[in-house]
Amino acid sequence: MQSSIVQPHPLKESLAVQVRVIGALLIREMLTRYGRHNIGFLWLFVEPMIFTLGITALWTATKSVHGSDLPIVAFALTGYSSVLLWRSMPGRCIGALLANASLLYHRNIKPLDIYIARILLEFGGATISFVVLSVVFISVGWIETPEDFLKVVAGWLLIAWFGSGLAITLGAMSYLSELVDKFWHPTSYLLFPLSGAAFLVAALPPFAQEVVLWIPMVHGVEMVRDGFFGSQARAVYDVNYIAMASLLFSAVSLLLVRYVSNRVVPG
Amino acid sequence: MINVQEVSKVYPTRFGEKLVLDRISFDLAKGEKLGVLGRNGAGKSTLVRLISGAEKPSSGKIQSSMSISWPLAFGGAFQGNLTGVDNVRFISRLYRQDFEKNLEFVEDFAELGPYLREEVRTYSSGMRARLAFAISMIIEFDCFLIDEVGAVGDARFHARCNLELFEKRGDRAMVIISHDASYVRDHCTRFGVLHDGRLEQFSDFDVAYSEFRIKIGLNAPKGPAKATLVPENRKQLIETTHTVAVRDDAFLMLAREADWQRDAKNWEKGESLYLDALALYPYQRSYWGQKAHCAKELGALVRAEAAYRTACALGEPYSELKRFVEPVMKKQEVSPKDFPVYAYSGAKPWDHPPGIPDIDLFALALWGEAIPDDNEVLRLLRQHRTCDALLADMIADSRFVKAAGQSAPLAPADQTNVLSAEKKSFQKSWARNLVIISQPRKSASIDVPSIIKNVEESRNPWAILMEAQGFAHWPLTQAALQLRNG
Repeated sequence: MQSSIVQPHPLKESLAVQVRVIGALLIREMLTRYGRHNIGFLWLFVEPMIFTLGITALWTATKSVHGSDLPIVAFALTGYSSVLLWRSMPGRCIGALLANASLLYHRNIKPLDIYIARILLEFGGATISFVVLSVVFISVGWIETPEDFLKVVAGWLLIAWFGSGLAITLGAMSYLSELVDKFWHPTSYLLFPLSGAAFLVAALPPFAQEVVLWIPMVHGVEMVRDGFFGSQARAVYDVNYIAMASLLFSAVSLLLVRYVSNRVVPG
Repeated sequence: MINVQEVSKVYPTRFGEKLVLDRISFDLAKGEKLGVLGRNGAGKSTLVRLISGAEKPSSGKIQSSMSISWPLAFGGAFQGNLTGVDNVRFISRLYRQDFEKNLEFVEDFAELGPYLREEVRTYSSGMRARLAFAISMIIEFDCFLIDEVGAVGDARFHARCNLELFEKRGDRAMVIISHDASYVRDHCTRFGVLHDGRLEQFSDFDVAYSEFRIKIGLNAPKGPAKATLVPENRKQLIETTHTVAVRDDAFLMLAREADWQRDAKNWEKGESLYLDALALYPYQRSYWGQKAHCAKELGALVRAEAAYRTACALGEPYSELKRFVEPVMKKQEVSPKDFPVYAYSGAKPWDHPPGIPDIDLFALALWGEAIPDDNEVLRLLRQHRTCDALLADMIADSRFVKAAGQSAPLAPADQTNVLSAEKKSFQKSWARNLVIISQPRKSASIDVPSIIKNVEESRNPWAILMEAQGFAHWPLTQAALQLRNG
């Protein structure tokens, strides 16, 4: 066990501690959230799957207009899975520190670890849900296999990166002010239709395109769709833009966590 | 070695910043045990949190070459919907320890049986404490932080904790914070007193303790802190007194010192310290029982019986005290059959059985003199089943005439003539207690705190109480008064 503060640790050792701490937190978080009852931690991805399936069914039934020839199932799957990815991370990080402040009595656990563990869990849940549904839909022939698999992965990871930065930023801010929690709920709902889940950028009028392209998530969703359907629809996105936005949020989030860490009072 | 350098901690509050710790410095070497005394809210727990690393100082540095535990016996890190086993697994994983070995130890120490596999939220506070302590023992730290062990659990659990902590791990460094000075005395080698954010250090417990006494204000007594809410009647007074008393450091300290003397079999010193504590809260029942034990050991049967009766009258269960009261009465050649011991009933306040503090107050109000001697106190307690009967009897007594003829209240400025009641009553807030018991009729013209003030400053408290229509509901008392006046 290392707790000496006198001499700094070699990076390798610190990394090992970090991995161990996050691993322990992950398992604890999983048990806490899903317990051992009924299907237990399968809920991790069954829950987002139900969401996505529900939206898919709803949009199929109402024959939602999205402005392209894409099958509605494919459209809903890529759109709503992406929403779940970036939206659930902040949802779990807001208030996380307050609820887990007593963990800080363990010397190696830092506020950032608590956030990272929760983000990884959300990432895992959303990803498994997306992958499982894609495989199922592909195997029953509702959608085609992705045209550019790596592009899908890259788009997905970009959304996750952006979501993480946003999550830690909002999480740290929520420790300072409870208003964050109050505002996040309406904001996330309003952002849902604007985030690219419910439209293709190319189908929008030029003015609207310009506006929605300010929203970073849109670029990620477009990229995922580009990877999936490539030739069937024209995708509009700028990797640099979402990467820069994510980088900015990440930097801000780390500064905020540092600020909060110096002030946190364990319960 | 832990090295704490000029550490300060400031908390922002709505009324500006509050300095909790002010430039605290000390070193702690391997095997040293530092005990920190301080009153509630002095910043003891903050200090421990800073050392544990859970919180960061506002300024200053804490360096350590030892591994430091989390504050011991603290169960806060338990997730309620995890099982005991899950919690052990989490800690084992976190600190890279052998889970199986740890589980074995926890099973053995916490004695939770099958409950270890149940969710922690189903545990009682005692079970939670056992699990918390057991989990704290599975990691071998160089320095243990101990924050008020002993709030929960039974004697056997404490004995086992002490064995694990102070015998098996006696070579470790420790920081122990407590407002139980005896715990600190028994286990520490160095002492600190935390007051107003500053830490003063001592190598000798007695010196540290006397400093602590001064800081707590015991050597310069001011009486109990003014409670903002005055109880409405004797029932409320009795039922709230424990809660108020245990938050009063001065009371706790006296009671604890009395306990030490009792444990050392210094009965005389013990009895007088218990009385000092009771002077602050005379309606605190359990310490009347303790005082009675001391008197019994001293062979002061009359005082012992009176105190036992008081304890019962204030609500100690007679079944608990029976085995003490009966021999005490037997030695005086009387039996509880002749003079039953009256137990507290939550009925109408005037029907409560009386205790020593009531006789003290009534004598002061009616007779204007010191409490009757021990024999008379016991006689009055044996005779009267209710406070009302006691008061009526004391009104009928010839000593009442003298006091009743006394002049009206004096101007507060006339200090020389003010009844020196404080010297005559053992109760520190006699006027308050007296007024509460009399239950003056509520009227717009004068509020209870003003009545208390008037009683305090008057030579004739009885006249004030009558004016405020005190004891109006007491039937026997009213009858006795009518007989007097008529």
